[in-house]
Amino acid sequence: MLLDFGKLGILKWVLITLCILVALFLILPILFIVALSFGDSRWLIFPPPGWTLDWYRDLFADPRWFEAAWTSARIALSVTVLSVVLGLLASIALVRGRFRGRELLRAIFLMPMILPVVILAVALYILFLRLGLDGSFAGFVIAHLVIALPFSIIAITNALEGFDPAIEQAAILCGASPWEARWRVTFPAISHGLFAAAIFSFLASWDEVVLAIFMASPMLQTLPVKVYTTLRQDLTPVIAAASTLLVGLTLVLMILANRLGRRRSA
Amino acid sequence: MIPPFLHINGLRKTYGPVVATEHVELSIKEGEFMTFLGPSGSGKSTTLYILAGFQDPDTGDIRLRGRSILGVPSHKRNIGMVFQRYTLFPHLSVGENVAFPLRVRRLPQAEITRKVRRALELVRLGGFEERKPASLSGGQQQRVALARALVYDPPVLLMDEPLSALDKKLREEIQYEIRRIHRETGVTILYVTHDQEEALRLSDRIAIFNAGRIEQVGTGAELYTSPATHFVADFIGDSSFLDGTIAAVEGRCADLRLGDGTLARRIPLHAPGRPGQRAELMLRPERIELSPDPGPDGASLPVLVQDVTFLGNITDVVALTAWNAPVTVRLGFMHPLSGRLTRGDRLWIRWAAETVHAFPRD
Repeated sequence: MLLDFGKLGILKWVLITLCILVALFLILPILFIVALSFGDSRWLIFPPPGWTLDWYRDLFADPRWFEAAWTSARIALSVTVLSVVLGLLASIALVRGRFRGRELLRAIFLMPMILPVVILAVALYILFLRLGLDGSFAGFVIAHLVIALPFSIIAITNALEGFDPAIEQAAILCGASPWEARWRVTFPAISHGLFAAAIFSFLASWDEVVLAIFMASPMLQTLPVKVYTTLRQDLTPVIAAASTLLVGLTLVLMILANRLGRRRSA
Repeated sequence: MIPPFLHINGLRKTYGPVVATEHVELSIKEGEFMTFLGPSGSGKSTTLYILAGFQDPDTGDIRLRGRSILGVPSHKRNIGMVFQRYTLFPHLSVGENVAFPLRVRRLPQAEITRKVRRALELVRLGGFEERKPASLSGGQQQRVALARALVYDPPVLLMDEPLSALDKKLREEIQYEIRRIHRETGVTILYVTHDQEEALRLSDRIAIFNAGRIEQVGTGAELYTSPATHFVADFIGDSSFLDGTIAAVEGRCADLRLGDGTLARRIPLHAPGRPGQRAELMLRPERIELSPDPGPDGASLPVLVQDVTFLGNITDVVALTAWNAPVTVRLGFMHPLSGRLTRGDRLWIRWAAETVHAFPRD
C-alpha cells in the first residue's frame, strides 16, 4: 500500500505524537473532573491535597440530586422508546418508499442536527408556552425527541439500507403476513441499528442541557440542568462527583454500542 | 374437461409506458419442470413475480387447479420461491430458517423437527441445523433456501435465476441437485434463467420469452429442431444466419438466392414467403459439414477459414462466405479436419436440406 504505516519513517512518529496529544486534549478534562471528585479540597485544587469520598456522600445525601437523575432517566427512556419507534417508521418510508419529495423529507428529518440548539430551544419554548406544555414532562420529552430523532433515523436507515427487501419477500412467500415478516425477520435482522438508535437517543436526551434549561421548571429539572444551576450558585466538588457519574453511565452505554457494532461485523 | 394444473391466461403488465409482458399464455402440467428462458427485460421475471403475488397484472388471470390465485395475497398462496439473491434470514440458524414456514403455520414442534431434518437431507445438508447463514458458501445458502421453499410441500416452486451468483462448476453441480430434487419430490417448478444451457439441462419444457411475449413453448429438442421464429433459432444453439432472397416457392420449401449468386435449394420455410422476398438461411454449427470438396449443387458454399478455436472436445471454426458473412462450424474431436485447419484455408460448407431453415423477413 502506498501509505503503509510501517514505511512512513520519521512521519510515523509525528503522527503517533499528534494522536497522543489529541487524545490527551480530549480525555484530560474528564480525568481532571474525576480526580477532583475524589479530592478533599473544597476549592477544587489540582492536584488534590488528599483523597475523600465526602462529595459522593453529599451527593447521595441530597434528595434533589436523586430526583434530578430520576427525572433525567424517565425523560431519556421515554425519548428512547418514542425515538426508536418513530425513527423505524420514518426509516421504512425513507428507504422503501418511492414518492416525490423523499430526499427533501430526509433532509427535513435531519434538520435538527444542523440547526443551532439555542434557536431550536427558543422556538420550542415559545410554542410550548402557547400550548401550555412548558415545564411539563411531555414538553421535555417532545423537545428532546426533536434532537434525538435524527440520530435514530440515521442509524436505522443505515441498517435498513443494508437489508435486502428480497429477504422480507421470501418470508412473506413462506407464509408470513407482511407485518409478521417485518416483526420476525426484518426487525431482528436490523436489531443492531435499532440498538444503536436507542443508545444514541438515550444519550442525546440524557446529557442535553440547552433545551433542558428552557424546558425546566422548579418542579422538574434534569441532571445536567441541576449541575448547571448548582454551578452558578456555588462551586462545589459535588458537581464533579455528579459529572463523574454522568460520564460513567455515558461510557458504559458507548462501550455497549461499540460491542454491538463489533458483534455485527464479526 | 379437467382444467390444466396451472394456467396463465393473457397476462399483461405495464410500468407506465413500458410494456413488461403481453399476451402471456401458458399451461403447465402437474409435476412439470417449466423454464422461462429469455434475455434480461424479456418479461420472464415479471411473469414469475406476478405468480408470486409481488406484482399485479393489468389484465389476465392465473389459475391453479382451476381457481384464480390473483385475489390471494402472497403469504396465502402457499407457493415456494428461491430468489436470485441470497435471502436466508441472517439472524436465524439454518434449522430455524427452514423451520420458519412451519412456525408461521403453527405446526407442532415434533413435526417441525422431523420436516426440517427431512428437507435438509433432501438438499444434502443434514447436520447443518445449528450453522448460521453467514458461515455457508453461496451454493450452500441456495440449497438451504431450496429446503426452506420445499419444507411446506408447496404445489408450485418458483426459482428466479437461483444460480446466477455462483461460478460455472458449482452451478452445474447444483443444477444436477435440482434435477434430482425435482425427481424425488415431484413438485411443479417454474424456473427463470437467461442461460440456454441451464434451461436445456433442467427443463421438461421451455418457454422462450422475448420483448414481453412468449415466442415458443416446447421441449429443448423441439425448440432446437424446429424453432418457430428467428429469435428462437438464434437463442437456442448458436446459429449463423445468411441473407438471401427467395427465388422460388414450392409448397413449404423455397429456393434461396444467396449473396454470391449461389442457389440454396429446397429449404424448409418457417413462415409463408413469396418470390422476391428477403429471407435468412439458418445454419446450425454442428449440423453443417466442412469439407475440401463441394457438395451436391444447391447445398454447399465456398468459404475462407477466418478463425479456429480449440475448445477441448470440440473445435469452433468461423469461416467467411464469398460476400464476407461469418458462418460458425463446430467440429467434433474425431473429425478428420480437426486440428489441421489454419486461418486462410479455402474449404466448402455443406448441408442437408432438412437440417437448415429459412426465415422470411417482414
